[in-house]
Amino acid sequence: MIKRIIFLVTCLILTPVLCVAEVWKAPDQERAKERAKEVVPFVTEYKNDDQITRRISLMDTGISIQDVTDTYFLLDSPIIKKREDHYEPVRFSHKRHANLTNDCSKCHHYRPKDDTALETTRCSACHQDSFNPDHPERIGLKAAYHQQCMACHQEQAKGPVDCKGCHLQNVPDHKELVNLPDNADPFQVTAECLRCHDTQAEDMLTTAHWLWKGPSPYTTGHRKDIMHGKGTTALNNY
Amino acid sequence: MKLTRRHFFKFMGAAGASVAALPSSASAWESKAPPDPYGCLVDLTRCVGCRKCEEACSEVNGLPTPERPNCQCTIFEKKRRPDEKAFTVVNRYFTGKLDAFDNPLPTFVKVQCMHCQDPACVSACIVGALTKDETGTVRYDVSKCIGCRYCMVACPFEIPAYEYHDPITPRVMKCTFCYDRISKDGGIPGCATICPTEALTFGKRETLLKVANKKLKDNPGKYIQHVYGEREVGGTSWLYISAIPFDRLNLPVLPDTPSPKLSETIQHSLFSYLWSPLALFGVLGAVMSKSNKTAEKQQNKGGA
Repeated sequence: MIKRIIFLVTCLILTPVLCVAEVWKAPDQERAKERAKEVVPFVTEYKNDDQITRRISLMDTGISIQDVTDTYFLLDSPIIKKREDHYEPVRFSHKRHANLTNDCSKCHHYRPKDDTALETTRCSACHQDSFNPDHPERIGLKAAYHQQCMACHQEQAKGPVDCKGCHLQNVPDHKELVNLPDNADPFQVTAECLRCHDTQAEDMLTTAHWLWKGPSPYTTGHRKDIMHGKGTTALNNY
Repeated sequence: MKLTRRHFFKFMGAAGASVAALPSSASAWESKAPPDPYGCLVDLTRCVGCRKCEEACSEVNGLPTPERPNCQCTIFEKKRRPDEKAFTVVNRYFTGKLDAFDNPLPTFVKVQCMHCQDPACVSACIVGALTKDETGTVRYDVSKCIGCRYCMVACPFEIPAYEYHDPITPRVMKCTFCYDRISKDGGIPGCATICPTEALTFGKRETLLKVANKKLKDNPGKYIQHVYGEREVGGTSWLYISAIPFDRLNLPVLPDTPSPKLSETIQHSLFSYLWSPLALFGVLGAVMSKSNKTAEKQQNKGGA
């Protein structure tokens, strides 16, 4: 009887917890996914304005931050995935970037020649497949994204410029790969990691993290001499 | 020595033959470059040093994983060269350029086989294991190779490497231009496919030259007014444009004449119609007959 009561009570306590434990999703995630799949017709001709003219004409149209309808994009176009698919798509906060730069012409640098087309057309309208022999000077969508993002991040000294700053790598689910007994001891865990990651282990043995000495030119105010530690006085191996 | 009528005709005949053979074969050197090859344009101002090309290359060509593939930092401390385990490598050069925050700006340079229009390695190969294909690829056929490694000596870019560690079936190893991919319609080399910034542009060499020259014209001050590979050693399929002079990026300064031109001209003019061995043996014969005669005379004198 007591067991039954305890069971029922636990069930009552756990029910709301289980409901809340569902993974939170951004409300516009689904829409962003759908939008990322779209491929719009290729714009062959564009107005070759310089940036100042372009900026003025954008201001003339009266576009402001209030007109940014899509706050969030998933940069996951099938145009890119057709050739290579190594990295997770980049999540691009459109409105935030629009707010920060306050200048649409930074990214919407040209417009289609067709006057009926949208003033701020999407990147993939002009930049599609790489190495198009009909438009050899036009860079592909992947390169357009990378050049635009990285150049601006570098220029502004803001935002990531390395791969993993924007992309989550396609890492396989380790839940299925790791094969460990319950209550495994540290040695078992290390051995299990090394089962696949032997090169990483070897690399690690050559770094300062293991040797406790070596060049560290990328550390500000680094010193070459080492007072203590495994490289000099200590004998431990932690 | 008194020149007899017979000797005179012999000598004149040989001389005439050599004179006839020389100019005809000297002017006969012709470029064997394919008319419309593919190429790859490397824009060094766009390369960010991610080394993804190295990774893609090793994957496509079944080579071992590049050394520390995700390292974009300390790996650049030593200058690397393509070898038998890596067809392409990216090196970093600090040439004194600073960015807006006074940090030194690196220039990354990808190195691989340039796939010359008139390759010295193909000319040097004595068994025809190396050939220049219609696609622009310099192809290697391991079944013909005898392992003389003349190609390694001949290459002006010092690219071909040799599998010294393999005593039984060693191969000469160099960039294949991903021939299996580019020979198919719409195929693109592994490195150019993966390049995130399109620092590598793949296409027909003619088109790429136009694109490169247009870039130089449209961005005055950004680039050095030189397309590396347009004329170097008679032109190469791989082309480079850069903001830094090429000799400071370890790209060798080379003459415009194709490397095989001189060596092939010498060889062909020496051996056309076998005139040089004929002349040599003619002279040797003349010397021999003369010495025979003098010996005979001396014998006669001694006998008398």
